[in-house]
Amino acid sequence: MKPFSFSKSDKVSKALSAKKEAVQFLAGGTNLVDLMKKNIAVPDGLIDISAVLSDKVEAQTVNTRIGAMVRNSALATDPQILAKNPLVAKAVLAGASPQIRNMASTAGNLLQRTRCPYFYETSTPCNKRNPGSGCSALHGEQRMSAIIGYNDACVAVHPSDLCIALAALSASVNVTDKGNKQLVIPFKDFHKLPESTPELDNHLPKDAIITSVDIPDNPFNKHFAYLKLRDRDSYAFALVSVAAALELEGNRIKDARLASGGVAHKPWRWQKAEQYLKGKEANAATFSAAAAMVADEVKPLPGNGFKKVMLMGAIETALQNCLTA
Amino acid sequence: MGLFNAKNKAAAVLKGRVEGIAKVTGAGKYAAEYRVDNMCHAVFAGSTIAAGTIKSIYLENAKQVEGVLAIITHLNKPGVPGFTTEAKIKDTRAGLPLFHTDKVYFRNQPIAMVVANTLEEATYAASLIEVTYEEDKATVDFKKAHPTVPLSLQGRERGSLDAWSSAPVVVDQEYDIAAEVHNPMEMHATIAHWTAADKLVLYDKTQGVVNVQRTISKIFEIPTENIEVFSEFVGGGFGSGLRVWTNAVGAVMAAKQVDRPVKLMLTRPQMFSLTGYRPAAWQRVKLGADKEGKFLGIHHQGKNGTSAFEPFQEGLTTITRMIYNFDNLKAEQSIVPLNLGTPTWMRGPGDCTGAFAVECAIDELSYQLNMDPVALRLKNFAITHDPENKKPYSSNFIDECITKGAEMIDWKQRKQQPGAITEGDWKVGYGVAVGMWGAGRGNASAGISMEKDGTMTVKTAMTDIGTGTGTAMQNMTHTFTGMPKDKIKIELGHSTLPTAGSQGGSTGMSSISGAVSAVCEVLKKQLAAYAAAINPAYKDAKPGDVLLSATGVSLKSDNNEFVSLADIWQKNNLTTIAVKASSGPGAERQQYAFCCSTAHFAKVRVNTKTGKVKVERAVCVADGGTIVNEKPAANQISGAIVGGIGMALMEEIHPDDKLGNLVGNDLAGYHFAVNADAPMIEVAFINKPDPYVNPSGAKGLGEVGIIGCAPAIANAIYNATGKRLRDLPITPDKVLI
Repeated sequence: MKPFSFSKSDKVSKALSAKKEAVQFLAGGTNLVDLMKKNIAVPDGLIDISAVLSDKVEAQTVNTRIGAMVRNSALATDPQILAKNPLVAKAVLAGASPQIRNMASTAGNLLQRTRCPYFYETSTPCNKRNPGSGCSALHGEQRMSAIIGYNDACVAVHPSDLCIALAALSASVNVTDKGNKQLVIPFKDFHKLPESTPELDNHLPKDAIITSVDIPDNPFNKHFAYLKLRDRDSYAFALVSVAAALELEGNRIKDARLASGGVAHKPWRWQKAEQYLKGKEANAATFSAAAAMVADEVKPLPGNGFKKVMLMGAIETALQNCLTA
Repeated sequence: MGLFNAKNKAAAVLKGRVEGIAKVTGAGKYAAEYRVDNMCHAVFAGSTIAAGTIKSIYLENAKQVEGVLAIITHLNKPGVPGFTTEAKIKDTRAGLPLFHTDKVYFRNQPIAMVVANTLEEATYAASLIEVTYEEDKATVDFKKAHPTVPLSLQGRERGSLDAWSSAPVVVDQEYDIAAEVHNPMEMHATIAHWTAADKLVLYDKTQGVVNVQRTISKIFEIPTENIEVFSEFVGGGFGSGLRVWTNAVGAVMAAKQVDRPVKLMLTRPQMFSLTGYRPAAWQRVKLGADKEGKFLGIHHQGKNGTSAFEPFQEGLTTITRMIYNFDNLKAEQSIVPLNLGTPTWMRGPGDCTGAFAVECAIDELSYQLNMDPVALRLKNFAITHDPENKKPYSSNFIDECITKGAEMIDWKQRKQQPGAITEGDWKVGYGVAVGMWGAGRGNASAGISMEKDGTMTVKTAMTDIGTGTGTAMQNMTHTFTGMPKDKIKIELGHSTLPTAGSQGGSTGMSSISGAVSAVCEVLKKQLAAYAAAINPAYKDAKPGDVLLSATGVSLKSDNNEFVSLADIWQKNNLTTIAVKASSGPGAERQQYAFCCSTAHFAKVRVNTKTGKVKVERAVCVADGGTIVNEKPAANQISGAIVGGIGMALMEEIHPDDKLGNLVGNDLAGYHFAVNADAPMIEVAFINKPDPYVNPSGAKGLGEVGIIGCAPAIANAIYNATGKRLRDLPITPDKVLI
């Protein structure tokens, strides 16, 4: 690890003004410290902002506000989250390990970097780590790679589970920028596709700090499911994951949410399938048709064709699980 | 050095492992945890190509880092006497001599070593070393490489292939398994301390301190007795600790160079490349039977990967010769050089891979015959005699294992028709397979020192890699002498203690039990002699008639003839009684064949939509002779089954075909089974003493627990789905497509 300076901040504005080019903010540190150990992140300094950010979950008039510093473990057991947005708790518990969840922050979860194995192997080319060097995964091991939204520059996927639920629930991200201005970024616009800048994972303005995440009040706290398919049942990133939620009137679907992890460089909402589900009977045939619509959209790489079949199965299963949850 | 169970004295009643409290309180020290004054740290920099030649190494930036004491490369290495000739190198059995070549044979091969005051400084400096290479084409993909490598005859051919060329029922299939890594929790680490020009103290993660002594003695040409090795607590081994790796050699070199004690602990990614692995293998099994299911013959071919600089052959076809009566048997093998590190023995080495092919082929045959696979096996077991050398088995209860296991899993619920049990999106199936391992025994010594208050310390150089050796020694000493367990302390894992071989190949328990039995006899004889000075009844007492208690000795006779320890000590002017004895295999090895065995059963659920396989139940019945210690023994088996689940469903090294790196070489990227993947594992033992193997009647269980587990799961997946998957691991994608 490269030597670095370390300081603690007690105010967002102070942290922002102290921020210099090669300095990074540190919250839970569960990803950043690993990246520093691997010489993937090589900051000159860290500013610990864990004390300046809220660690509260608060009910507001039309939404639930999750402080940036709410630890994953606290989020997963928060009574308000369990009552109003249980899908979020399900997703959080599908990720990492209890030890990591005890450390990891909500905002940090949004900012965690891809787990593409080539990104982690500094001796191999990677456009995300070393722009312009090429993408090793494009012609390499693609088991964990994208099936939608990728390009030749990068086939990595976003690794979070929490973010898949937040995307499904149309959350928004509250940000304070370098000039102390407050911004609200809709969740769908927060993360980005690789495009020509695969080194950037999201649209967080340079040197800005996430202060909280809002989830609008929603009717998806009764029929929901988070299904994560992976090579083992705990402590593994998703091959594919599905956050599904239904609003039902009798057996008719009034509204639906469907998002996936492990498929793209950002949490992916299946909007076409969501539209299709609206107004339909909640049954196996409907779910199967929705899954087929999703499958039509994806273009697996040569090394991960199975993900298309797996995703269809996962969507059908997740939707089915919504009825029994 | 402390007592293995030093911290147990607080416990009123001893329960569980003797070292349990030391382990859970952190008092027990693993190799890298020892503190040595003035110690510094060494870190390897690895190659970033998989094949080629080093053209240049630029060290200037690394040298600038504060605290750097030395950087060693092939250009400036210190003289290592054991690496001066090819013959000497071979004799060390240390593999590729560290820093003695400009050639690169695999990625992450150590090409430089930074020694610095702190681990942080050494690690940072190592990251600043710049190397240029002349790169050659590397071969890392076993599946692509093996077809061009020819096979050759392995062992004696029994009968002939022609004898069963017209067998009415034949299976002829190919089976693949990906390479797997051991990756025990504790990383391989060594602290090396030269206490004089020719004297060395090593704290090393190993499965055998004597092997470390021997190897380091050969490499550095100093007498073995000048090398003191500590390995008191070992955080898992699974075979990776049976060789001396570059961490030990590097630490010793570095310590010499900077004239300070040096610690070298491998990183987790280095563990994937530098401490061996179970090699990838291809096998073809042709198996013939008559219409009633009697086996007529088998033709077993196998190839395994090895490194480009060292041959390593797995005993892929060894198990084929053991379990069943095959009058006709032909085995062929070969090895496939790859640009990877050298593989090594990994739990159930050879047999584990071989059993996957043979036990799946037998399962396939059972469906062709429409015959229950348990009945098919029972029909063909070689129970009384070893089918290879025709010697009678001293004991062999594999038939009882499979019968009992079938009862435990409720085998009658299984349907012969694959895919017959459906629960929603899940298919349910049952599978069986068996495993066998030769019940070996080696020479071992043990010592006992006894104090006036009855406290006994039982000692051996053998390590306890988590298998419960120390607890077994305590139990056996209690059984052999009658001394209460709380008076029996254990000291082990240190080279100055009575010598014993490595803990590997399931020989640890078998070997040490002989030594403990022998030393208990010697102690009892000695005590009887001392007691005879007080009570003449002890004059001609046989050791078997002498009983110890916390306060004295007695004789197995009507009036006990009790003599107190206090009197013995006073009368004979004693301080400590110290005795030692050795024991090893003898003529029984000429007369009998020895085996331990397992029958594995799995009940699996397979999701037809997601490809997910859940092992719902795992049952294993094992024959390990006398079970000295039921809890650790069951723990051995259930741990092996967790390994078997990993082998069956997820464990796999992915070398990148173009770059030669191991993709995902950390514990997040390499999937082994975790608790969530393991069902409640049901273990039972036959628990009948083997009459000839050793005085305790106990046979080793470490290896045989995993042998047969993966094929039982693969066979259950077939029974559930009708899909025969012959390529391990069976990940969800293979189930789906």
